[in-house]
Amino acid sequence: MLIYALKRLGLAVLVAVVVSALAFLLLRASGDVAIALAGEGARSEDIDNIRRIYGLDRPLVVQYLDWAAKMIRGDFGTSLFFKTDVHALVLDKMPTTALLALFSLIFALAVSLPLGILAALYPNSWIDRLCLALAVIGQALPSFFFALILMIVFAVMLRWLPVSGSDSWAHFVLPTVVLGYYIAPAIMRLVRAGMIEVLASDYVRTARAKGLSSRSVVLKHALRNALVPVVALSAVQLGFLLGGSVVIETVFALDGLGYLAFQSITHKDLPVTQAIVTLLSLIYVGLTLAADLANAWLDPRIRVGGGS
Amino acid sequence: MTDVAAIPVLDLTTASSGKLLRRRIMAHRGLLIGTGLLAFIVLVALLAPLIAPHDPYAQDLSRRMIPPIWYEKGNWVHPFGTDNLGRDYLSRVLYGAQISLLIGAAVMVISGLIGTALGLAAGFFGGRVDMVVTFFITVRLALPLILVALAVVATVGGSLWVVILVLGLLKWDRFAVVMRAATQQVRVLDYVAAAEAAGASTLRVIVGEVLPNVLPQLVVVATVEAASAILLEAALSFLGLGVQPPLPSWGLMIAEAKTYMFFSFWLIAIPGTALAVLVFAVNMVGDGIRDVSAPAGRG
Amino acid sequence: MSRFSTGVLAALVAATMAIAPALADKKTNSIRFAYDQVVENVDPFMNNVRIGVIIGQQVWDTLIYRDPKTSEYKGQLATAWKWIDDKTLELDLRKGVKFHNGAEFTADDVVYTLNFVVSPDSKVVTRQNVAWIDRAEKIDAYKVRIICKEPFPAAIEYLAGPVVIHPHEYYAKVGPQGMNEKPVGSGPYRITEHSVGKFVRMERNPDYFKESPKPQPKIDKVEIRFIPDRQTQVAEMMAGGADMIMNVALDQATQMKAVPTLQVVSGETMRIAFLHLDTRETSTAPQLRDIKVRQAIMHAIDRESMVKQIVGQGARVLHTLCFPPQFGCSDEGAPRYSYDPAKAKQLLAEAGFKDGFDIDLYAYRERNQTEAMIGYLRAVGIRANLRFMQYAAMREANRAGKAAMLHQTWGSFSVNDVSASTPVYYKFGPDDVSRDPEVRDFLQRGDSQVDPAVRREAYRKALALIAERAYSLPLYSLTTYYVANKDLVFIAYPDEIPRFWEMSYK
Repeated sequence: MLIYALKRLGLAVLVAVVVSALAFLLLRASGDVAIALAGEGARSEDIDNIRRIYGLDRPLVVQYLDWAAKMIRGDFGTSLFFKTDVHALVLDKMPTTALLALFSLIFALAVSLPLGILAALYPNSWIDRLCLALAVIGQALPSFFFALILMIVFAVMLRWLPVSGSDSWAHFVLPTVVLGYYIAPAIMRLVRAGMIEVLASDYVRTARAKGLSSRSVVLKHALRNALVPVVALSAVQLGFLLGGSVVIETVFALDGLGYLAFQSITHKDLPVTQAIVTLLSLIYVGLTLAADLANAWLDPRIRVGGGS
Repeated sequence: MTDVAAIPVLDLTTASSGKLLRRRIMAHRGLLIGTGLLAFIVLVALLAPLIAPHDPYAQDLSRRMIPPIWYEKGNWVHPFGTDNLGRDYLSRVLYGAQISLLIGAAVMVISGLIGTALGLAAGFFGGRVDMVVTFFITVRLALPLILVALAVVATVGGSLWVVILVLGLLKWDRFAVVMRAATQQVRVLDYVAAAEAAGASTLRVIVGEVLPNVLPQLVVVATVEAASAILLEAALSFLGLGVQPPLPSWGLMIAEAKTYMFFSFWLIAIPGTALAVLVFAVNMVGDGIRDVSAPAGRG
Repeated sequence: MSRFSTGVLAALVAATMAIAPALADKKTNSIRFAYDQVVENVDPFMNNVRIGVIIGQQVWDTLIYRDPKTSEYKGQLATAWKWIDDKTLELDLRKGVKFHNGAEFTADDVVYTLNFVVSPDSKVVTRQNVAWIDRAEKIDAYKVRIICKEPFPAAIEYLAGPVVIHPHEYYAKVGPQGMNEKPVGSGPYRITEHSVGKFVRMERNPDYFKESPKPQPKIDKVEIRFIPDRQTQVAEMMAGGADMIMNVALDQATQMKAVPTLQVVSGETMRIAFLHLDTRETSTAPQLRDIKVRQAIMHAIDRESMVKQIVGQGARVLHTLCFPPQFGCSDEGAPRYSYDPAKAKQLLAEAGFKDGFDIDLYAYRERNQTEAMIGYLRAVGIRANLRFMQYAAMREANRAGKAAMLHQTWGSFSVNDVSASTPVYYKFGPDDVSRDPEVRDFLQRGDSQVDPAVRREAYRKALALIAERAYSLPLYSLTTYYVANKDLVFIAYPDEIPRFWEMSYK
């Protein structure tokens, strides 16, 4: 177990290094930051001046090493647009996005777990078909389209919920439903497939033969086994939610990381874009590492096989 | 990796006989509906120049925002009404089908080529090759797709081909993951070993023996990826960093109609529905193929 | 990283706990104003966005004030001013004015602020608003002199617009960055909280000096919230979550007139729209070098229809590159290019483009108007591809000679003098992509002469030449639509500045 964990950790670190280098190069390779910085009415001299002040005239490798070294120390540089500390800026916006991602995951699990289990218990019944329909619609509906429709109905027409902002829990309801519904189908399918597989397996049949009640078989034995891949998927989905909330944050004017990322992209505010992309990548690497270790602990075959 | 585990890999090693397969296809309602809808949309896209009542680019500022026929003020000259520049909405929706299908197909081909090549290589050769490919996949998965796509499009400048290229180069991960796992299963089969023993070249074994056997999975992934590419383009266009006007992409049409949603709902509802139906159809086809080709039916 | 993660955790907890009470409109005598662009720094010298100008006018004061109704200059921080010579302006300052932090306003504040912003190290963003100033000198505690680099008759107009005065001790201590975090001015509103990228909250300055030409504020609190998406702003207005939005497109404004809780007010603005063409030898679109092609473009676009259908009430078609009420703006002697697609096609054929050509059209705002132009150009055979981007990126592509055709707009920084518009694009500056020495000489004459009649005549000649040679296509002035709570009393001024200090509820 320890060797597996160390190996896995080493891989995670390597991935982190490559990802940060990619994030840096990919974004730096395109576009001239100094121009965006100079603003309306700036002259060529001003732009050259800015290039020098911000060290944008040095070789890329030097810029990367300098940037990475500072990143590790928690110094994310200065925003080209806001002219403030990126660290503080990101820290300020992080909670909103983290909350949104967390709420969405909880919502998705709350919907997809019971539905997935019921669908597995009664395959091809009306409830199974309902789940399938919900899943298919969830996958086909563009999230921004869904968001706008919810906004019209619940905020403008019924006035039950606020339109936009992030001041209270009520502001999070609509975005949570949209994002949660977007990731729910995948979880639901996985729960359903896992449950069907486990219910058909020998030991559940044995348990049933021993006379255990249906409910305890489902809850104690089948569910626990079917949940293992769900935990892993949830970790991945959480990472996805953090990076994928750009559109929803923009629509609902939720002042989070996704919206900050979008702003920084349109303003060519490279330090902020790089910091967010790198940070989200690192969070993803961390989440998958944790999920893999948890899985290995739950399922000894993985750490022996080491493979997929 | 976690994602590899998360995607169920199907056991396709027992090939169904042709007759059985046909019966299954005919019995699968979802597949039939999906195929029917998709065929309809493809037909509409191909025939757009013939069936569109107007030039989708021809504007007339004096005929703006005419509602569709199911509204009181609608008329048959513009069955779906006109947009904010007086362009015929039906014609734009019809031509928009071309763009969404093109994006779905082109992204699918680009990412499919990259992902399949990587996945086949990793699954077939194993060892170091597998390690390197797995590493690539992990790195790719760690990058937040939408943000990177937005950032690249923002700097390069949005256009149809830029969007296709960016999404194609970013979305190969699922192809690689599934192809790798499927190839690993096929690799150990007798006839693959037999072909190798008979002295067939590696490339020949991969193309001639392995690829046909992983094809059903490939098709399933391809549909999922096509659907997701179409949605992603729509999201990019929605944020103003996708396909650029005057091209009638459905995503772009939604983006341009969003400010009209409170008073002229049809402007957003029509392309929104078209987009949802297309993605629905593609997904149904994918699900259907998965069910039909899996030995134990659905699930 | 650990510092970071504990910070995240703490902030997370704080965010779940904090349920801030929302400001309520009429009952609490406050205004919730929503805007789509964020301001990077509220210090008026440190941003180049409209919302920055709006905030600047509420929080800070200028030396001189231009009455938006009569266009008459009045003393604000200054009480009197006179030109000592061509380049030297002497101002008497007002006594008894206090900044929000209690500091007394004196000549030191004027001298420090002006000398700071003209120094190259200050990195001010709005350089062209202060580039005419050479230095400021203190004569005594309430008398200063401003020395221009060369004769600059429009100086008064700039001092009445973008050039605000900061408290010198505080500004010297905290700099522009500190000014952004805890802004201190002398204006009718003071900022109580600035959450970068999210909102700016202001409250009435109870000690605002009574002699100011800006009336005493009546509204107690103003919250400016940044909402990026237009339809979300509209939704907020309809749901009663905001009291005022501006720059609403004609269609939405027209539709929202039907909502009983709202009022729609419109007004022409100083902002002009035009097609800016690179006609130099290096142009990436060599077709534009041919005057016939440029004239064809002008005849291809139906500006009258655009104004009527999608620009809005109050806007007017322009024939020269300036805003008509600006000093020196005139379209006398300039040719009129009527909407005539047949003629456009014929001109294109004469120029050798019978089958039209492909060209990139760069734009950054009023996207639907750009799209309409693309439609018109397409009808005569010019296939324009939209390249939509941020302002700075577009302007830089143009300066670098990469973007040959731009849908530009210019608001002259609300300065009511042609020196703030036409010369920016035709006096061999970085944005001049025609480089006509004749035009430049006329503009130079207009900028630096003192006699108004001489200035007017020089500008008129320059403007007529630009139109004759079809260097750029003036389109129209823009209209701004405001949508507000129906009980809010306010006026829409052409300088696109909502004056919260004048507003009240019925």
